[in-house]
Order: sequence, then structure tokens, then C-alpha cells
Amino acid sequence: MDALAEKVAEQGVGSIFLYTHEAHPGEHYPHLTSMEQKFWHAAALREVYGLQRPILVDALDGACHRAYGSMPNMTWIFNRSGIPVYRSDWTDMHSVANAIDYFLDVAQRRRERERLAPFRVERLDYRSQDRDAFYAGLERNGPRAVREFREAFG
Amino acid sequence: MTDQDLLQRYNYDEFVPEKFEQWMRFDESPLPGSPAPDFPLWKMEDQSETRLSAIWSAHTFTIVEFGSFT
Repeated sequence: MDALAEKVAEQGVGSIFLYTHEAHPGEHYPHLTSMEQKFWHAAALREVYGLQRPILVDALDGACHRAYGSMPNMTWIFNRSGIPVYRSDWTDMHSVANAIDYFLDVAQRRRERERLAPFRVERLDYRSQDRDAFYAGLERNGPRAVREFREAFG
Repeated sequence: MTDQDLLQRYNYDEFVPEKFEQWMRFDESPLPGSPAPDFPLWKMEDQSETRLSAIWSAHTFTIVEFGSFT
């Protein structure tokens, strides 16, 4: 997602990462009990995973995250007026890039005075699954995170 | 539910269905095309307060990825 953010920044598209709650808490990165800890975990995310985008931290009670459906790794795209134009219950770079290409084209067509009316569309997109990387992440969180995920999903 | 109850339930301490499934509410989230709710947020670098509206109003489009370390 960082590579996409860098690419589309030249076209006036902003990108942020919004820090929520710990989806798979473990011994090394346990559940959150304070904002101080939440900032520390967010900093660890940047340091360990090398995330480049600006990181914004939600309130400890997840007010923003909960209002948008509280999925663990979802992506939304907003226009400048604060209207969501894309919502995805999971994050996939190809899906987001496809959507941004479409919306930038819409913006261009508007500049060319084409009359456009919005409508809603639902679509099933596909994400790649890197199970080894996912489990490596769980192990980073702590052995309990691995065990609990296996017990929940096999 | 008290504020403390909410804090503990939202920041669940173990990944078990009875604790995490209650938060999977994507179907109840705002529809594309409808006004989005605004909330205070804090910048990780200096912990200064901003708002989601300040973020989305800065660009023609803004991509917001939600997530965490774990």
C-alpha cells in the first residue's frame, strides 16, 4: 500500500494508516489499555514493518473505527467533501488502485464538463493470501496469538 | 455499557470468537455516497490532535487503511 500511496500522491491523492485496536494480541503486543501504549504500538508498526504513510491514531475506545464497521484491516476512500466513495472490508492494493484509477478518471471527465450522476455498485474483489507472512506476523505478536488463531480458524 | 466496559470489550485481550465477532460490523457502516461521520484522531509522530475531516479535506481523494500492529 505504501508503493501505491507514493504513486498516486503525484495525482493529488492522500493516504494514511489509521491505528485501531490489536486484532491478534499476544505476549509481545498485548491488548491496549492506554493511549500511551497505543502510540507505542503504532511506532512499532512503523519501525518493524517500515510503513511509510502518515499514521493517525484513533481514540482508545475506537470511536472512529467502530463507526466505520470495525473490521481489522479495511480500506475506505473519501472525496474532499467527506463522502466515502469506496469501502472495502479488507485491504488489497490492486482493488484500491483500481478504484483510484476510476475516480481520477471521473474527476477528469467532470473537468471536461461531462454530466455524471452517482450510483452504487457492489463487487466481489480478490486478495492474495500469504499464509506464511501472516503466521510470521502472529509469531511476532507472541505465541498466544498463533495458538488463538489456530483454535479459531484451524 | 459503561465507558470502562466499552474500552475492555473493544480492546479485547484474546482472539476468541465471543470477543472479536461482535466488532465485525461492516454491513452497518456508512454507505458510499452518504456523509461520513467525523472523529478526532491523533498524529503518531507528535501526538497532536486532528480530525478525520482535516485529513479527507486535504486532497481530492484520500485512502484510509485501518489496522494495527497485530
